[in-house]
Amino acid sequence: MTTKTKAEPKSSGVTNGGARIVVDGDDEVLSPTDLSEMLAEGTKDSHDKAENCQFVKDFLRGRIKRELFKRGTAALYFVYAAMEEEIEKNEDHPHIAPIYFPAELHRREALAQDLEYFYGEDWESQISLSAGTKPYVDRIHEVGQRDPVLLVAHSYTRYMGDLSGGQILKKVAQRALKLPSTGEGLNFYQFEGIHSQKGFKQLYRSRMNELELDAETKERIVGESNRAFSFNMMVFTELEEIGKTIKEEVQDAGLGHSHAEIMEGGDINKCPYYAAKMVASGNPTYACQLAMTLLTHPPCQWALAAWVALLAGFTAWYIL
Amino acid sequence: MADMDADTAAHTEPSVEEEEPFFSNLDLLLFSLIVGLVVYWYMSRKKPEPIPEFKKLDTAAPAARETSFIEKMKKTGKNIIVFYGSQTGTGEEFANRLSKDAQRYGMKGMAADPEEYEMAELARLSQIENSLAIFCMATYGEGDPTDNAQDFYDWLQEIDDEDLSGLNYTVFALGNKTYEHYNAMGKYVDKRLEELGAKRIFDLGLGDDDGNLEEDFVSWREQFWPSVCEHFGVEASGDDSSIRQYELKEHTDLNMNKVYSGEMGRLKSFEVQKPPYDSKNPFLAPVTVNRKLNKAGDRHLMHVELDITGSKIRYDSGDHVAVFPTNDSAMVNKLGQILGVDLDVVISLNNLDEESNKKHPFPCPTTYRTALTHYLDISQPPPHQRPLRAGPGKALYHSWVQGACRNILAILEDMPSLRPPVDHLCELLPRLQARYYSIASSSKVHPDRISICAVVVEYETPTGRTNKGVATNWLKNKLVTDNGHKSTVPMFIRKSQFRLPFKTTNPVIMIGPGTGIAPFMGFIQERGWLKEQGKEVGETVLYFGCRYKNEDYIYQEELEEAEKKGVLTQLNIAFSRDQEQKVYVQHLLKNSKEHLWKLIHSDNAHIYVCGDAKNMAKDVQTALQDIAEELGGMTRTQATDYVKKLMTKGRYSQDVWT
Ligand SMILES: Cc1cc2nc3c(=O)[nH]c(=O)nc-3n(C[C@H](O)[C@H](O)[C@H](O)COP(=O)(O)OP(=O)(O)OC[C@H]3O[C@@H](n4cnc5c(N)ncnc54)[C@H](O)[C@@H]3O)c2cc1C
Ligand SMILES: NC(=O)c1ccc[n+]([C@@H]2O[C@H](COP(=O)([O-])OP(=O)(O)OC[C@H]3O[C@@H](n4cnc5c(N)ncnc54)[C@H](OP(=O)(O)O)[C@@H]3O)[C@@H](O)[C@H]2O)c1
Ligand code: HEM
Ligand SMILES: Cc1cc2nc3c(=O)[nH]c(=O)nc-3n(C[C@H](O)[C@H](O)[C@H](O)COP(=O)(O)O)c2cc1C
Repeated sequence: MTTKTKAEPKSSGVTNGGARIVVDGDDEVLSPTDLSEMLAEGTKDSHDKAENCQFVKDFLRGRIKRELFKRGTAALYFVYAAMEEEIEKNEDHPHIAPIYFPAELHRREALAQDLEYFYGEDWESQISLSAGTKPYVDRIHEVGQRDPVLLVAHSYTRYMGDLSGGQILKKVAQRALKLPSTGEGLNFYQFEGIHSQKGFKQLYRSRMNELELDAETKERIVGESNRAFSFNMMVFTELEEIGKTIKEEVQDAGLGHSHAEIMEGGDINKCPYYAAKMVASGNPTYACQLAMTLLTHPPCQWALAAWVALLAGFTAWYIL
Repeated sequence: MADMDADTAAHTEPSVEEEEPFFSNLDLLLFSLIVGLVVYWYMSRKKPEPIPEFKKLDTAAPAARETSFIEKMKKTGKNIIVFYGSQTGTGEEFANRLSKDAQRYGMKGMAADPEEYEMAELARLSQIENSLAIFCMATYGEGDPTDNAQDFYDWLQEIDDEDLSGLNYTVFALGNKTYEHYNAMGKYVDKRLEELGAKRIFDLGLGDDDGNLEEDFVSWREQFWPSVCEHFGVEASGDDSSIRQYELKEHTDLNMNKVYSGEMGRLKSFEVQKPPYDSKNPFLAPVTVNRKLNKAGDRHLMHVELDITGSKIRYDSGDHVAVFPTNDSAMVNKLGQILGVDLDVVISLNNLDEESNKKHPFPCPTTYRTALTHYLDISQPPPHQRPLRAGPGKALYHSWVQGACRNILAILEDMPSLRPPVDHLCELLPRLQARYYSIASSSKVHPDRISICAVVVEYETPTGRTNKGVATNWLKNKLVTDNGHKSTVPMFIRKSQFRLPFKTTNPVIMIGPGTGIAPFMGFIQERGWLKEQGKEVGETVLYFGCRYKNEDYIYQEELEEAEKKGVLTQLNIAFSRDQEQKVYVQHLLKNSKEHLWKLIHSDNAHIYVCGDAKNMAKDVQTALQDIAEELGGMTRTQATDYVKKLMTKGRYSQDVWT
């Protein structure tokens, strides 16, 4: 957790690693070929990487600029608008109907409200589909039109994630950005139609497992889910890059009042805490810069995105 | 990231997942009630002593170094320092609130970032009279400290010969239960300071951000301050406003249109009903059926139907209906009498803590009568009261209130010396909660009505009183027409994940003794409807249990009819008291284990359990594990995992309550 200039705590014999999606590897007893288990198992590595990429890590520490959060919300809006449009179109498809939970899951409206909060009434004219988000959105439309069963993967990757780590992100964002406790700007994270997230995830898993799919299709869904993870990493990487060009003061709530006192009428760079933190956190950017360079070449975008995201995540994970 | 697997974490918790927040909430509120009453009682016996003054101790101190908190405290006359280890600001906010609190108790506090001070000075804090260090410590990563507490943490680990014996301290930990290393940092600081000789003057508080961190903090703080006062031998400043969270305002010239009369959110929402309906805006559903289900016996099991025509309310079988009951008016009047107050005075209780986003304890302005009728729980004796740590009321309250099931009325009746002001009582009583019922109908068959199956709660207390369940007795008296008026029930729907399989051919195994049959009446209706639509429907097996065949075999006709029609492929009933030996649903499960195992293991059956969480649900789970062990050839551990995994994958669902 710490900045790398500081020693790791010595007490507990901790290991580094991501949130464990605990699924025993070698469980022969109860249908390990169920899609829910294949997905959890088959996206474990992607999940570790996603969680450990720099942008996500910074976010989790409450280091998120308002501008970036707004852009992230806009990116999510395009992704969910695409995903929900395709799901609606395929609502009666035998592979979509069992996992069709518009009242419980759909986020487009919530994101629109958040964007209105951040950008004002003409939010639609102020946001645009970014280069890092476009491949994701394009892919969703592509599978929606050509291979709807793969929407299962996209929907799993986002909704199940939102129902898991999303709640942590909500609290972090609320505090870091000093958003009102009444939830404005954070509707995305608030699933009004779901009382127990744990219970709902169980229902969702049971529905995925009720889909009539052959082994090959299940494998393809796992593959597509890993791809969806990579697309998410691309979005994060892009945000991180943009973040470097934004000169907004870090909304670090941890600095709080004491920081405000020091900084009264002062220069932020004189703050020893701030300076130390900048030095410490400015490091593992090489991989990301590389990613951005490649991303500016449209033909390479696609093939390389996954690799770069992987690399960035890995580097970040390794260095920190 | 730490291990945050929500499912794994939940395995260690009781299976009563649905009920938990409600009860911990209740605990908390009841606890504050008790503490409040104890403090009140204690204080009302003693004359307040003069408040000691914590004046500047050393005005002649040399120009202090910036990193010396001791110098700063001396200069500014503080005796309490609140350090925070905080990343996103919660811990810091709590620290600020605690330091402000101090004033109310005649002390002076300051919040401090451990990174900005020389923490080794803790050894010298005793230079300041009546000094105390409070630590609000959040945990991150894999049980790690926050950035700003890292140096402090390192220092704590390194020092071995430091003697902190003059240091008074207490710790409030901020964490999240879904992490493996829950509150590791707070726990470490608490333990380590003790090892180094410091004196813990109040027990570690554990805040859980997965539950309700704010409430954890508030309840800790409410116990903490009286204890500090006691420790330093000071009285909280004079009048009891010091222990009040809310300030009373009486309204004399308020238009009654601006006064809440039982609404949960919007004023007049009961007069002008507007969808969508939810917990803040319940729908007033007319009662269309209210009949007794049991044929004999001294209990009252009832079937109630609510009409939701025109409400735009939609539900699925398996969902819950929430109802907002009201308290017995005779009890409310009696309270008013005992306290000698005019219940129709219009009041507001306003939070003294302006930073809190809870402005009032219940919708205000309102009358005492409305508050005691609609908003406050006046009939529940404390169910699982946390043991009181210290103070004069400990023995008294523990056995006297909890042991004897005394509710607030009984407490006041039996303790004539205790006459708190009614507004104080309104502040301390817990909120009257909505009650949930598993919907006993299918929307496919009855889109415009919702059925409830419930048993009336009534029991004798050790003091010879009869305690009556609020909601069930209120429902029992909701006759279809009441003096020519329709009886209505304020209600809303809570979606659940207790759902029939998507594929109608998948078998279902339903286990629900007693009122646990409720959602299965909906399931059976729905499977019957599907069959009528010409759908192929899989096996539908029910395990029901009751006491006597001739007394409480509820829905007998409906169930036997469903069996005749082949909607229920198996109807298994355990009559527990018709013979010498108890026969329960789990015994019947064992009797048909081969068939059950085939349905579960080979045919993808979904298992549903509903009803009592305390014993039945656990016993049923054990029975199913036994079957898996025996017929699946598994070890005990494998069988346990097998069943757990069925749960994770949504093929073993529970709808249980205590
Ligand atoms: C998700 C969910 C679904 C539910 N579904 C149903 C349902 O379908 N049908 C149904 O009938 N109920 C159901 N319940 C329970 C229901 O919500 C109420 O709790 C119940 O009806 C009692 O409410 P009450 O207001 O009448 O009793 P309360 O006034 O709340 O009194 C109940 C309390 O009294 C105490 N008490 C009761 N008996 C005794 C005793 N013998 N000795 C000492 N203390 C005692 C206990 O503390 C108990 O909690 C469900 C609960 C949940 C959470
Ligand atoms: N007040 C009480 O005494 C009491 C007791 C139990 C539960 N409750 C609560 O009351 C609520 C509703 O109860 P209810 O009236 O619907 O149920 P109920 O009628 O009291 O019980 C239904 C059947 O379940 C049986 N049973 C008892 N313990 C069991 C166990 N461990 N496993 C399987 N079956 C068991 C009962 O047998 P026997 O009664 O013959 O043992 C009875 O035949 C439940 O939520 C429960 O928490 C109250
Ligand atoms: C921000 C950092 C993240 C944190 C803290 C986090 C945390 C978690 C946690 C605690 C779980 C619970 C596992 C369970 O319930 O079994 C989970 C599951 C999941 N997460 Fe994340 N996550 C993060 C990022 C992501 C990202 C970026 C994605 C993809 C876009 C994602 C997708 C998922 C999915 C699909 C699951 C469901 C696993 C399953 O049950 O099959 N997560 N996450
Ligand atoms: C990334 C992250 C990691 C966390 N790790 C833990 C942990 O290991 N153990 C724990 O008890 N709580 C953990 N928490 C919960 C926080 O300690 C909790 O939310 C706390 O209220 C944060 O306080 P702060 O706002 O003062 O920083 C974690 C929170 C986040 C965001």
